[in-house]
Amino acid sequence: MKKIFIVEDDFTIQAQLKTLLSGNGYEVFAVTDFSQTIQQIKAFVPHLVILDIKLPGNNGFEICSEIRTFSDIPIVFVTSSNTDMDELNSIMLGGDAFITKPYNTAILLAKIAALLKRAYSSPQAEFFAWNGVTLHLESSVIEYNGQKAELTKNELKILYYLFKNAGKICSRNDIVDFLWDHQLYVDDNALSVNVARIRDKCNKIGLTDFVKTKHRQGYTL
Amino acid sequence: MSGKLYLKNQVPAILVNLMGMLALALFLFANGNQFQTVLFIFTVWFIILTTCLSVVYYARKRYLNQLLDMAEQLEERYLIPEIMTIPRKADEQVFYQIMKMAEKSMLEKIGAIQNERKEYKEYIEQWIHEVKTPITAMKLLCENNRSSFAREMLAELENINQYTEQALYYARSEHTEKDYSVRETDLCDVVHSAIADNKYLLRQSNMTITINVINNRVYTDDKWVRFILNQIIGNAIKYRAEKPALHFSAVKTNDGIVLSVSDNGIGIPQSDLPRIFEKGFTGRNGRIGKNSTGIGLYLCKRLCDKLGIGLAVHSENKGTAIMLSFQLNDFVTGVQG
Repeated sequence: MKKIFIVEDDFTIQAQLKTLLSGNGYEVFAVTDFSQTIQQIKAFVPHLVILDIKLPGNNGFEICSEIRTFSDIPIVFVTSSNTDMDELNSIMLGGDAFITKPYNTAILLAKIAALLKRAYSSPQAEFFAWNGVTLHLESSVIEYNGQKAELTKNELKILYYLFKNAGKICSRNDIVDFLWDHQLYVDDNALSVNVARIRDKCNKIGLTDFVKTKHRQGYTL
Repeated sequence: MSGKLYLKNQVPAILVNLMGMLALALFLFANGNQFQTVLFIFTVWFIILTTCLSVVYYARKRYLNQLLDMAEQLEERYLIPEIMTIPRKADEQVFYQIMKMAEKSMLEKIGAIQNERKEYKEYIEQWIHEVKTPITAMKLLCENNRSSFAREMLAELENINQYTEQALYYARSEHTEKDYSVRETDLCDVVHSAIADNKYLLRQSNMTITINVINNRVYTDDKWVRFILNQIIGNAIKYRAEKPALHFSAVKTNDGIVLSVSDNGIGIPQSDLPRIFEKGFTGRNGRIGKNSTGIGLYLCKRLCDKLGIGLAVHSENKGTAIMLSFQLNDFVTGVQG
């Protein structure tokens, strides 16, 4: 499990970021004493640091250059001031990404995932499996009993979301939100059409009643 | 300098001369001089007087015209005492002194106002950065606790964020200093992030979005373009009609790339089109109660002008298309290699 260290002085944001990141499978620790930030980072040994710029005591830039003296872990700057000077400074001092508040959580998560992947090149799951059905992400194929069906971009993302939340009910709204976060601007009708197509494809490879409809709630696997 | 007025000003001198002439005439006639001699003396006197008057008049006129020219060519007219030569006449020197005093107090006032404005701008920027912290916190709270209620909150938060951004860019656009940096930007990314900024508002209004922008690289400031697109998307949401749709497309032209954003909303009346970029202009759509401020498009135009992006609007009764044309000339590609 990847460890993320949060340096943020607003406690609501800190707590909510913790919830968000731990919900996405990261181990999270937030700074508790701003005079001890560096020591706490050294003690926690995170894989990635999320750093605000305006902080009590040392600002984010100072902390960043101090971290760089002993570690080259990815550092994501998160700030509410989006001036060019700040962005330039953060890059000059060795920051890996610069995100302005209020951030889009999908973009933040994507950036964190990309940075972690680049820094640690951990083999990410390239397929999902559920009840004997395999979803190959790289080749965009669904496989059951050796039979395969090709999926379009939309269908793959819908199935990806359903597989990720396998066993749970996914509301139509959440699925559409997820698709929008991945730059697929699908509306409610198009979602129905896409799910119908997925069911067609599943039927062709002998997979009946795989994506189930929960009346008034959404879909589930 | 008006000749008539000058002559009027010289009346005392002329009167003195006339009185001198009269006295001299009486004296000469009393001494038994001939009428011709007196006439001759007076003719010579008259010629000398008029020559003197006109030479002085033309000399003054030349000098004053030069001064006028100088003042007219000057951008900051109140600085004229700095560049004019110090006059030699006693009364002119007094006027010069007055001008100097006026200039000084003017400069002090301008300095004070500039300072005040700068401080105000800094305060606005700081305030905006501060208000973004609670906006971020609320956004995270909503995203972590998804429900239909949270979705509506998120849409409203997007509205708040747009308004604060508008204030930020308004404060920035009023200042002459450059707050942007031009770099290679992928239009596709900017379009996607602008949509992401308005995600919940767009979802709430059931907007259908189609994009035909593939890998078009331009040289511009992505944050500014994103702001401009946000304003355009905001308008498309505000002035939507039945079954709203928004289409983004980019076309390569001879000397650049044109990004057009077209909607199928209520459109802009032909009579309003020439004025939509004016500050505070709301037009017919504003009168029908759409909460228009007349700031959005005005800011778009200002920012586009600063960045050198062409901004054009096309609307025929129904639907509006806004075209942003990015220059992509030989110079840029030459410098970039």
